[in-house]
Amino acid sequence: MHPITLNINGEKHEVSVRPHWSLAYVIREKLGLTGTKTGCEMGTCGSCTVLLDGKPYFSCLRMAIDSGSYAITTIEGLDADGKLHPLQQAFIEEHGMQCGFCTPGMIIAAKALLDENPVPAELDIREAIGGHLCRCGTYMRIVKSIQKGARIARGN
Amino acid sequence: MGAETTVVGRSLPLIDAREKVTGRLKYAGDLPPLHRMHHAKVLRSPYAHARVVSIDTSKAEALPGVSAVLTHKDDITGRKKTCNTPWVDPSFNFRGPMISEEVCYVGDEVAVVSAVDEDTAKQALRLIEVEYEEMPAVFDLEQSMQTGAPQVHPWGPNALEPSLFQWGDIEAGFRESDHIIENRITLGNQQHAPLDRNACIAEWDGDCLSIWTSTQALFWIRDAVTDFFELSPNKVRVHSTPTGGSFGLWWGNNFMFLAIAVARKARRPVRLVLTRDEVQTTVKRRERPLIDARIGIKADGTMVSQSYRHIMDNGAYGNKFDPYQSVADIYTTPHGRAEFIGVATNLLPAGCMRGVGDLTLAYAIEQTVDMAAEKINMDPVEFRLKNHWRSGDICHTSQEVLFAKLLFNKEPQVALTSSGLEECIRKGAGKFGWKEKWKGWGTPSSVEGIKVRGVGVGISTHISGLAFFGFNGITIKVNPDGTMVLTTGIGRMGQGGDTTQAMVAAEVLGVELGDVNVVDGDSEVCGHTMVTFGSNGMHMVARATKAAAEDARRQILEFAARRLEANPDDLDIRDKRIFVKGSPDIGVTLKELMSSPIYEYLSPPEVIGRASRGVEFDKAGKMMICDYAEVEIDTRTAQMRVVKFVAYHDSGTIVNPAICENQVAGGYCQSLGMAMTEHLVFDEESGAILNPNFMDYKILGPLDMPDPEIYFEQVYDEDGPFGAKGIGEGVTCAVPVAISNAVYNAIGVRLHPPITPDKIMRALRQKSR
Repeated sequence: MHPITLNINGEKHEVSVRPHWSLAYVIREKLGLTGTKTGCEMGTCGSCTVLLDGKPYFSCLRMAIDSGSYAITTIEGLDADGKLHPLQQAFIEEHGMQCGFCTPGMIIAAKALLDENPVPAELDIREAIGGHLCRCGTYMRIVKSIQKGARIARGN
Repeated sequence: MGAETTVVGRSLPLIDAREKVTGRLKYAGDLPPLHRMHHAKVLRSPYAHARVVSIDTSKAEALPGVSAVLTHKDDITGRKKTCNTPWVDPSFNFRGPMISEEVCYVGDEVAVVSAVDEDTAKQALRLIEVEYEEMPAVFDLEQSMQTGAPQVHPWGPNALEPSLFQWGDIEAGFRESDHIIENRITLGNQQHAPLDRNACIAEWDGDCLSIWTSTQALFWIRDAVTDFFELSPNKVRVHSTPTGGSFGLWWGNNFMFLAIAVARKARRPVRLVLTRDEVQTTVKRRERPLIDARIGIKADGTMVSQSYRHIMDNGAYGNKFDPYQSVADIYTTPHGRAEFIGVATNLLPAGCMRGVGDLTLAYAIEQTVDMAAEKINMDPVEFRLKNHWRSGDICHTSQEVLFAKLLFNKEPQVALTSSGLEECIRKGAGKFGWKEKWKGWGTPSSVEGIKVRGVGVGISTHISGLAFFGFNGITIKVNPDGTMVLTTGIGRMGQGGDTTQAMVAAEVLGVELGDVNVVDGDSEVCGHTMVTFGSNGMHMVARATKAAAEDARRQILEFAARRLEANPDDLDIRDKRIFVKGSPDIGVTLKELMSSPIYEYLSPPEVIGRASRGVEFDKAGKMMICDYAEVEIDTRTAQMRVVKFVAYHDSGTIVNPAICENQVAGGYCQSLGMAMTEHLVFDEESGAILNPNFMDYKILGPLDMPDPEIYFEQVYDEDGPFGAKGIGEGVTCAVPVAISNAVYNAIGVRLHPPITPDKIMRALRQKSR
């Protein structure tokens, strides 16, 4: 076991990890932040996406032991102040989900997109979530939700 | 037609949307650990068929941190194969003993270990020494049916007793026909492939058991567990959490029983989480069909006779023997025959997946019908308009007829309650631009250089629940402030059933959706709903919900009548206020009524509405589906893409349009996956699945297809709550055949899903020879 410190959603977490534990595993199983989902554990579904210094990564492919130097954002960090992020609000209003399992990963990926490009075209959105699967096939309304989230974030 | 509604018909957000967007919704794998909880892992068979000659677990048991090892020697066997009804196999993948010394497919369970953590459990698995004696295995459907074929599992023959339906005089019908069209089809092995990996947590307290698992089958699992472990239902409490997709996968499964058994042996709570590989290769897949279709038509296109022999691959432990629905009834003919045969193979068990038989048989029917239309050079849309099923027509091949026969030895008639199929076909053709795109048989809809386009149509139908799914029990409790709590056994697998049930209650009780809390997924608290399947939520469960709400409403009005000194029949509720019809100024708010004492009792009222409703099976409410597809094929690379897709569906009244649109879009996406890419590949030598992950089993993503155009023909169904019928499963049924028919129009070759570029390339080469 190796002691590390993870900086997640602005909070420092002291945790002992084994070298082969993924960041996703530690976030979920050791820190109880289960909003980050693990569907495939091999970087093919996108459910486990988190932000490292603002950039989206599949946390199932990152080693926890190597993640101490980043500012990590999980879905729990988006409404930490009790107020929903514009994307979260938009996903609710536009029905950007069915079972909801892919939703945290989609929203995290969309946040990374909007932080870089506040006025994304539809193709930009589809490319930003291109590595994410929604087995319920909700893509149509996920795209609409992200478009609406962008509008809310821009204040119109 | 229905009265004006204030809640029903609006795209209100899902009641659990906030939990979903914040990541706070707990699927089974997200539940916090229980005190003293251990973690389980499963040792699985590398052979498709073998006997465990010896198994030595001593080294595993000696590993520090291991609390229990379970093998076939523990000899846990359910009392009986099924419950008291012919169709209810609680686990739906019955395998005799929970762990057998005879393993019947690659991935079958050999041993289970529980340990202090997953790493230790995995390490312990490697210390178990097993000696297998390989047995002959069979993977091919037709080979499995032959005499002398290896017996797949230790009980019963490989082929189950056929289910047979006949009406009219089938041979006379073919003699009367001017043309007879014969066709044989098969489809790929689709897997449900939900993103979530399921978990089961089991905890024993003496002889009382609690489990937590993601499932759409709360009471089915409760009954299976009581059966397997010989417990009274009042000793078993099942908590069904939402599922991260299910599509028919998360019913009962042996992995849940394994968690329960190993927890009992370990004398601790145990959690078993499946890996992605296990989700794909050890639970279930869609039955792979082999269908021989024969259709007889007159020269003018009138269908006279139809015959189908539908063989389905059940894998090692599936037990399908019935038609599932009433699929052969898309077309009305005086003569017909449909035969269904379930056959075992030494492959991953197969069973229901979204759309089930309606998808497989509709594929066979709709392709053969296309061939019939071509035979007489008739527009395929016109052919369908001439022959399709209509309201009041008889369901000849209903599963319910089969069960009435099995249980009561009677052969009753089942009739269709309503149908907007004709409108779906006609209006769909208009939206799609069929007349402009259809250039006749043998002519693609367009050719531009190396790119050819083709168009296709497919129709289907699907049940909205069936009578034998059982009674549904619902309660609605009204709180002192006029808010409410609705309890239901309905599953939460992404279909929004909790939201739409609450909408029905809110509509009846004159409150807002936000006033209704839904409590679900607790077998001790919620009324019975056997399984949420067969699209039973909106047409069948909602009847009980509506009746429970009406019961609560009656009680509210009686209390209000006492207070307002009026007759309850003269009162109405709207906007959370009870008032005298005709004199709306005289009234009382629901909150005031529910929180103020009544003189005689010196207490405020208590209102609990309740209802238990079954449905009679003689009237079948079915959803109607017509899908139009246009595909483009690059004749140089054999790549195919969908250009346009129009889905025109009749699900009766649409209770929540956004939820229903998502259902249709999702069915399109999944079934398009089946049509183009999704296929579990079994190794021909070993029977092992070669693509147990999302890298090699290709699910369509956000860049892989255009959005579908979705339309609803809202035909009011007199038997449905507010006129509603089901939707969730039917949305998948006509997609693969619409695509396949469009491919035929483009390149002139009939191909079966998955229609991959290599198949297209071979077809193009053969054609050009």
